Amino acid sequence: MKIIIAGAGSVGRYMAEQLSSTGNEVTLIDSDANAVSRINVAGVTTAVGDACELDTLAKAGLADADVVAAVTGDDEDNLVISLLAKQEFAVPRVVARVNNPNNEWMFNEMWGVDVSVSTPHLLTAMVEEAVSVGSLVRIMKFEHGKAQLAEVTLAEGSPAVGRRITDLGLPRETTIVAIMRDGHVVAPQGDTPLHQGDEVVVLMTGDCEDVVQRILIGASA
Amino acid sequence: MSVFRRRKDDSPAVEEISYPAISSLNPRVNATIRGRVVRIVKQPAQGLPTLLVRIEDESGFATAVWSGRRSIGGLDLGRKVVIEGVPMASASGLRFFNPAYTLLP
Repeated sequence: MKIIIAGAGSVGRYMAEQLSSTGNEVTLIDSDANAVSRINVAGVTTAVGDACELDTLAKAGLADADVVAAVTGDDEDNLVISLLAKQEFAVPRVVARVNNPNNEWMFNEMWGVDVSVSTPHLLTAMVEEAVSVGSLVRIMKFEHGKAQLAEVTLAEGSPAVGRRITDLGLPRETTIVAIMRDGHVVAPQGDTPLHQGDEVVVLMTGDCEDVVQRILIGASA
Repeated sequence: MSVFRRRKDDSPAVEEISYPAISSLNPRVNATIRGRVVRIVKQPAQGLPTLLVRIEDESGFATAVWSGRRSIGGLDLGRKVVIEGVPMASASGLRFFNPAYTLLP
């Protein structure tokens, strides 16, 4: 895949190296020639220039790029890059980094962003996960919140403990995608029984959250 | 540089120019097309303000999407328009994101 990364900070450079090593055609853009030169991986093309300028983006090859990742340390820049990538080059997939979580609400299709990634938000989710047994932890949202991936560690007394997945009566828009048990991943089948301490990863769309809470955690949650 | 496209006031002879057929367009190649507005879709009040307009010529149709607004004055059903932008392929045909537009009489 042809991937353009805007922002050669530690995030951008790391991404460029990783994606290049897995066989992708990567171009890294930054206005700072020093930052760009710090990457010395064969296969990563570099471009020096302001990624908020159309000329720079055109020269970097956005016209036939598959993915653009706007990962500068500046939310305004990331939004401008995303909008230009979508509006002027019709890039199929635009990924943008959210630096300040207060700005996250703007990272949507209006600005050409297909996927936004917010480090503070991810950290919060991880911390929530670490401190919570028996509550629903939202891990990731897809399709701008229409679908989400959530995780529940089954506490003692959960109504789901000891029951098989088919017997839970989960809504149709919900599916259990994995169960983590004693450090192993159990591929869920309809007749897989749930145990106390299982980490259940659920993919759901629509407004199933309350129902899933009731089924996996219990009414009091 | 202006991020948002503007109407081009210095192109008075839009009626006389010949435009490519919509069905002949390629995704991701800048194009200017002329057609008639045959459908306008507005988003619900609580959703993101977005305006979807289907534009049709003799050969086919394309959809123009404007973000951040719910209507464009004068852009009504049946109106002839010229739009310019870079179309992307979508499940429902070609889609122009925030194209420049010119309303024709």
